[in-house]
Amino acid sequence: MYLITNALKNLWRNAGRNILIAAIMLAIITSTVVTLTINNAAAKIIDDIRLNLGSRVEIGQDFMEMRAAGLDGRTDSVHLSIDDFYAFATSDYLRKTIFSASMYGWSNTFCALRDDPSNPGARERGDGQGGIVLDETCKLISTSDPTTLSEFGTLRHITSGRMFAELNECIISEELAALNGIALGDVITLQGAIVTDKHYSLTVIGIYADFTDEYSNFMFMFNRPVSENRRNEILTSFATLISAGWETSYGLHIRNEYYLKNPDHVRFYEQEVRSKGLPITYNVAINQAAYDKVTGPLSGMKGAAFTFMVVILLLGTIVLALISFMAVRERKYEVGVLRAMGLARSKVAFGILAETVMIAALCLVLGLGIGSAVAQPIADNMLEERVAVAEAEDAASGLGNRVLFAQGQMQTNDKAAGYTPESEIQVRLGGEVITQIMLITLALTALAGVIGVTLITQYEPLKILRERN
Amino acid sequence: MAMLALQNVSYRYEGSTKTIFNDVNLQFEAGKIYTIVGKSGAGKSTLLYLLSGLDVATGGRIEYEGENLAAINRNHFRAQKAGIIFQSLNLLTNATALDNIILSMNISGVTGVDKKVRALELLQKVGISPEKASRKVLKLSGGEQQRVGIARALAHDPVLILADEPTGNLDKENEARVLKIFATLAHDEGKCVIIVTHAKKVTAVADEIWSLEKGVFRQLPVGK
Repeated sequence: MYLITNALKNLWRNAGRNILIAAIMLAIITSTVVTLTINNAAAKIIDDIRLNLGSRVEIGQDFMEMRAAGLDGRTDSVHLSIDDFYAFATSDYLRKTIFSASMYGWSNTFCALRDDPSNPGARERGDGQGGIVLDETCKLISTSDPTTLSEFGTLRHITSGRMFAELNECIISEELAALNGIALGDVITLQGAIVTDKHYSLTVIGIYADFTDEYSNFMFMFNRPVSENRRNEILTSFATLISAGWETSYGLHIRNEYYLKNPDHVRFYEQEVRSKGLPITYNVAINQAAYDKVTGPLSGMKGAAFTFMVVILLLGTIVLALISFMAVRERKYEVGVLRAMGLARSKVAFGILAETVMIAALCLVLGLGIGSAVAQPIADNMLEERVAVAEAEDAASGLGNRVLFAQGQMQTNDKAAGYTPESEIQVRLGGEVITQIMLITLALTALAGVIGVTLITQYEPLKILRERN
Repeated sequence: MAMLALQNVSYRYEGSTKTIFNDVNLQFEAGKIYTIVGKSGAGKSTLLYLLSGLDVATGGRIEYEGENLAAINRNHFRAQKAGIIFQSLNLLTNATALDNIILSMNISGVTGVDKKVRALELLQKVGISPEKASRKVLKLSGGEQQRVGIARALAHDPVLILADEPTGNLDKENEARVLKIFATLAHDEGKCVIIVTHAKKVTAVADEIWSLEKGVFRQLPVGK
């Protein structure tokens, strides 16, 4: 006990030297707390994104492959059957699947916005191959999981009724309802515009306010087709959409999302679906571009924080080692006196180690406090700068203007379009960081202590006292 | 039986071929004051280091109560049995006089007494006031520091007191005070006091006087 008491008194007796050691240790610990909390918070967000966006596999048509197949006369560009998609969803690699599909619809019982109200559903047009197709007037959009309709809660919200849940239920925009005098419980009928044998009778179960852009897709900003007006969307369940008896995906734009249990298993999953008959005209891929875009600034910040932490730890450790070395050498005489008084070498070492531990404990508490207080503003600042850089780069690259045309369809090749870099980070001092900081502090203390103990064990009291004399 | 016995003790410094003393046979008994006199550099302090276990003889053996000092735990010996008064004091200069003495008692494992009270008593005994006892050693005069060193050596009530020029910095009054303490310790309390000195006043209180010259110990008559 007296060794601890003496160590405590020594902190004050050697205040100058100890303040120097404490300042270095505090700087190391505070910097490490800041960098580690930022690093861990960023890593957690990236992990979350990876588990969602990064594990989200889409099976989509590869337009370049399809064009090549068409030119070569190959027949592997066929539309997949609905059963194929269900088969793809049955895999041990998956934790869930969200089925989504849309189709162009036509109705002669209600008008679409921007349509000719006096003559709804009258238009027909050639399909370019000698046949006739109905003019698309609306878009039937479906999903197996309404919670994935991300605009609900932000740009769209149900003002009356509820979200669709049962078969043949749908929700429509306030504008569409007002234009046609549709009320909750009314039934609307429509049929496929391209696949005209698909007929639907849907009960309007909800009406929503819509604050999205009418033509948010830039490709339709100029010709503004009625069917692409977002106010004309009719939202329903996937089960409802395919209840009309779809055998293949022809006429359907299927955009299923398959969520992997492990984001690294995308290639294994691809092998499985290929073995189940997925032709090469379909891609199996995560949206790497979107993932990179969303996580880019965070990854950059995480890397910078980690690098800074490594540099601080390396430099700090070297400086701390040197100061500890000098401090013990400076206390050589004290060691000699204590040893001459009969204090065992191990007890002298314990005393010096106790002082180091006390300084470290104090610095740990202060460092955790200061570090946690400044970490959030530092993180916000770092992320803000990186998001600004990422957005500037994105704008400069002009990716959004590149369009692919394949089989008469248009598609942007900017797979990250619509995604924005993650720009918020909540930095919190959690148990994990505290444990890591404690381990780092322990390592620093051990380093300083080992230097002290190593030197002390080399000192013979008589030699020290003779040198002094 | 002698408390300390030197049997054919030789010593030379590490790496040196010069022998400081050779085949020394001496005995120190409890209840007596011994003084060792001799010129500077004769090896008097070295003898004290050997007797305190801070150094080990290069030849022969030193026995403490029949046990080879080189073979026992010398830290324990210094902490429990011996009280050493260094010529160069060797105090913890950034600690108070009181802390120096209490720490010495702690190292020796003194229990059953109020250490602060005992330390203040000891300091009072050597002429250090309670007010000065709370000062850092560095802020005390040379003489006061020497008396703190003496008080520290006595703090754990050792049976053997080894003193290297204990009165070198003291005025007459304090010299007399200290010598009286040594006399009491040896003659009344039965302790063995070995003093290395140049001072005639110190030799005057000795029961045995030994001179060390050119590595040879010779007993001198008491009173000369």
